[in-house]
Formats: sequence, structure tokens, C-alpha cells
Amino acid sequence: MSAAAAVLRRLTFSREVVLLGVLIVLMIVMSILSPFFLTVNNLLNTSRFFVEVGLMSLGMTLIIITGGIDLSVGSNLGLSSVAIGFSFAAGLPLPLAIVLGLVVGTAAGLFNGLFITLLDLHPLVVTLGTFALFQGLAYGATGAEAVSDFPGWFAYFGQAYLGPVPGQLFIFIVAVVMVWLILSRSRFGRYVYAIGNNEEAARFSGVPIRRVKIAIYSGIGLLVGMAAVIYTSRVYTARGDSGLGLELDVISAVVLGGASIYGGSGTIAGTVLGVLIIATLRNGLTLAGVPSTWVLFVLGVLLLVAVFFNEFFRVKEE
Amino acid sequence: MSEARAPTEGRRVSRGEVLRRFMVRPEAPALVFLAVLVAAFSLSSDKFLSGTNFESIVISVAVLGIIALAVNQVVLCGEIDISTGSMMGLCAVAAGAVALSTGGLILPLLAAVAVGALCGAINGLLVTAGRIPSIIVTLGMLYALRGVILLVTGGTWITGVPNEARVLGTGTVLGVGYPVIILFALFLVMELVSRHSTWGRNVFAVGGNRRAARFAGLPIDRVRVLAFTLVGVFVGIASVIYMGRAGSVQTNTGTGLELQVVAAVVIGGTSISGGRGSSLAALTGAVLIGVILNGLVLLGVPGIWQQAVLGALILLAVATDVLRRRLVEGKA
Repeated sequence: MSAAAAVLRRLTFSREVVLLGVLIVLMIVMSILSPFFLTVNNLLNTSRFFVEVGLMSLGMTLIIITGGIDLSVGSNLGLSSVAIGFSFAAGLPLPLAIVLGLVVGTAAGLFNGLFITLLDLHPLVVTLGTFALFQGLAYGATGAEAVSDFPGWFAYFGQAYLGPVPGQLFIFIVAVVMVWLILSRSRFGRYVYAIGNNEEAARFSGVPIRRVKIAIYSGIGLLVGMAAVIYTSRVYTARGDSGLGLELDVISAVVLGGASIYGGSGTIAGTVLGVLIIATLRNGLTLAGVPSTWVLFVLGVLLLVAVFFNEFFRVKEE
Repeated sequence: MSEARAPTEGRRVSRGEVLRRFMVRPEAPALVFLAVLVAAFSLSSDKFLSGTNFESIVISVAVLGIIALAVNQVVLCGEIDISTGSMMGLCAVAAGAVALSTGGLILPLLAAVAVGALCGAINGLLVTAGRIPSIIVTLGMLYALRGVILLVTGGTWITGVPNEARVLGTGTVLGVGYPVIILFALFLVMELVSRHSTWGRNVFAVGGNRRAARFAGLPIDRVRVLAFTLVGVFVGIASVIYMGRAGSVQTNTGTGLELQVVAAVVIGGTSISGGRGSSLAALTGAVLIGVILNGLVLLGVPGIWQQAVLGALILLAVATDVLRRRLVEGKA
């Protein structure tokens, strides 16, 4: 038993080492492709762009560990962003509008969680439905218009720098530490793994499955709300189609980080490396002058390859 | 599924029994809902209940319905396919390119079907041999294929498709448009395949209980690969109808279609967990979506709300499915 645990620990350890190697190789390749890539300014600047995907990936890690999935995060980001922008435009003070954005994001996540647990439905079909619903609400409520006349201090969330370091990087680091503590150092985190490994066994062991699931779907909603605040501040515009397609980045990052899509395994460290690899890829390809549509193609293929290798090696192990 | 296919055994059945048998069919709630909606819309707008309006509704959902008939089989297998939007774009690009260079109808159609079948087979092989869940495979393919479209076309539209290649979209037989005829013909074929072919029965077995199907010696991988490939073939056919109606192919052709297709299947009454449903469910779901979108236009609801209505409908449909099953199981 302890021998098996040691082997398992070594495998997960080596997985993150491999990812780190991939990241370093990728950075070398990118710095050859573009002389601008490996500069301190560019690397710090890149971090302005991956924080939103990073925050959502933290929540998605927990969801995928339980064997679930959330396809609605991109639409939810649009909805939360619109909630901030349009409540502000309607006269709500901006601090309250920001709180409203967080509440809308969390409420949308809570809706997913309740729908999934109370009706015993697969998260896939529920979040496919809310993917359309949230996006449709964001479009419909705004008439596909945008708000961008925010006061100057709103830029603090997405455009501020502390010295050379973008402000949102600190938010991300705090979130990483908190989610890591919850997942690796708390009873709740053990419940998450237990549900993913064997939901039936977890139920008979007294794990409050519904409450845990509702909590993690609401949790990702809150993280989406935070991402929406940063995103809206960064682009300085609230539109219904903000975050369109981001679910691909988020799911790819988590899966690349080693979380099994069938549940039961995954780590925050792996996910953070996955986020960094995808951000490097996006930034490097853009600097190298590759059109953005190609980036989508690369991400799509990357997702397939990552899942394939995950499951391939898992089968080998067994 | 067993209740839905119970043979009548030649004995007389009472009217209540007929009603009960109808109500346990998977597509029953959708059909009732459709009837109520048609009645409501025809009362609120006298333009609704006319032959031409109804034909235009069916024509508008023909592309959606044809793809839904095939995705229905994938869902019955317990899998899902959300790559159909990009796949249809790619098939339409193939059909358009061939139509421009050779003309005619057969060659563009063959090209579209071949491209679709290839994409579908890749989906199926990744799911079965690659052991990747179908949602991830088809999500990846949704983006990857859109990239291929932009690569192949270089971002330019295909315009000026010759008229003989547009027949499937614009032509009529005895006053009925080709899209309507093709939709109903494929529906009949799928009903027959579902009821009377080995593969059609295997699909239900694989989706109902995959483990049992494997122990019974069914080729569960081949059954699923065939279902995914069938989606490609039907997407190919649908893309030629689309091209015929539009007369041009844009690089964003088919965007968002995958969601409507899944919506049609589950709204019609095919269970998302597999093993329960019918081709009639997919057809009903597609027509229902057409009636709702058409009704919204007639009632003056801005088109911008369509996406929200679609999402709400998916959630409503899956919730109804669960509640109905609980009710039936609670009684039994």
C-alpha cells in the first residue's frame, strides 16, 4: 500500500517535471521564433493575459477532479461582465456594480450546481444548456451593445502595475495559494478527490456529495466573476461576447496539467503549469505573426493530444 | 425503449391503453408541446397557420433536422457530438470549391459527404481507439476544423455557386421543396434502420448498458464509430442543402449549429444518457425549434433573444426528462 503510494507520488511528481520541461523547451523555441519573446517586459506583460484563464482553471481543476465539467465559464464571464457594465451605466455606483458582477458570476455557478445535483444530471448537458442561456441573456439584456465609459480608477483591476509587475498577477497568486490549500490541505479537498475516484463509495462513506458539488460549481462561478472584473477592467469594455470560447483554454489548461477527464486525479501545480504553457503558446504564436485563428486550431489539437496522452499512460500504468 | 417498442400482439387495446402507450414514448412530451405551441401561435397570429409558412418553417430547419437525425444515433449510443457546426462549414467549403471547378450536383455532393465522413470517422476513432471522451474529442474538433476552414479558404468567401449545384436547396418536386423531401426521406430511412437493422438495434443496446452489450459480444467500438461517421455523412448532405439555399459559403458557416442540433435531439425526447429515444424525437425537436424561432419572429421578439431561448429549452427538456422518469419509476 505504501509502496503503491510512493510510486504514485513519483509519477505525479515526474508529470509536473515533464510539464516544466515542456514549458522551458517551448520558451526556447519561442525565443528563437521571435527576438521579443524572451524579454522581462514581454514575460511580465504576458501575465496580464493569462490571469483570467488562470482563475477559471483553478475552479475547473476541482470540477474535473470530481469527474464533472463546466462548459459555461466563457458565457458566464460575458454575463458577469455585462452585469458590471450595464448596472454601472444604469446609475449603480461602480463598487456596487463590481460586487454585483461577483454575485452574478457566483449565482450562475450556483444555478449550475443546483441543477446538476438536484436533478442528478450530467454536468455536460446542464452546462451546455447554460452556455447558451448565459450568453443569450448577456446578448439579450444588452441588445448586443457595449459599455465603456468607466471612471479612471476602474483600470486598477486589469491595467495597474506594481513596479514592472501587473497588479492582477498578485490576485492570481493569492487565488492559487488559497485553492491549493483547499484542495491539498483540507477535508473538503479530500472529499473532492473521493467523489472523483468513486462517487458511490464516497456516498457510502458519508461524503456530502451534493453540498461539495454545489460548493465547487458556485466556487468556479465566483472565480469567473473575479475574472470578469479583471477582464472588463483590462479591455475597459463590457460586452456580451466577452469570454467567448475561453472554455477551450480553461479545459485545455486543466487537462494539460494532468487532471484526468474521468475524474479522481489532478493537481493545482499541474494546472498552473498548463495555464503557463498555453499562455506561452498564445503569446509566442502571436509574436511570431501567426494569425489568431491558427491559435484556435493549435489549441484544439493540443487539447486532443493532451487528453490522449493522459489516458494512454494511465492505461499503461494499470 | 422496451415500452416504446412493445408489440401489440394482435389483441384489442382500449383507448386509455393507447393513450398510455403514447405517453410513455420518448417523443410524447415534445409532440404535445408542439401541438400546444402551434395552437397558441395560430391564435395569436393569423399568418402562422398557413401552408406556406409551415413549409418555410420546415425548410428552415431541414439542415438542422438532417444533422439531428444522425447526432440522435450518437446520443443513443451514450456519446455526444458538438463538432457539427464546424464540420458543416468544412463540408460546405468542400462542396463549394468542387462546384466552382467542375459544376454539376453529384460531384460537390460526393465531396461534401466524403469530407464529412472522414471528419466523423476521425471523431469515432479518437473516441473508441483513443479512449478520449466524446465531449472532449468533438470540442477539440469544433475548434480544429474551424481552423482548417480558414486555412483552406484563406478567409475568403466562396461566391457564385452555379445553379445546378444549388438544386438541393432551391429546387422543388410537385411544389414541395427538396429540403423538406430529403428531411422526411432520411427520417424514414433512420426509423427503418433503427427498428430493423442490426446496427440500429445495437445502438440502443450500447447506449442502454455498454457493459452488458460488450458481454453480449456486440462490437461496441464499431457501432460507435459507425454512428460518428453517419453524422459526417448527414452533415455532408445538409451542407449541400445549405449551400444551395445560401448560394455562397462563408468562413463562419455553421457557427453555433452544434448547439441547436444537440438541443433538437434532447428537446425531442432522446435521453442524453443514451439508450432511450427515437428518430421521431430528433425530427420533432428540430421542428419544435423551427416553430419557436418562427413564432418569436411573428410575436416581434428581437432575434437577439434566440440564444437564451435555446438554452432555456435545453434545460427545460432535460429537467422534464428526469422528472418524468422519476414519476414513472415512482409509480412502478
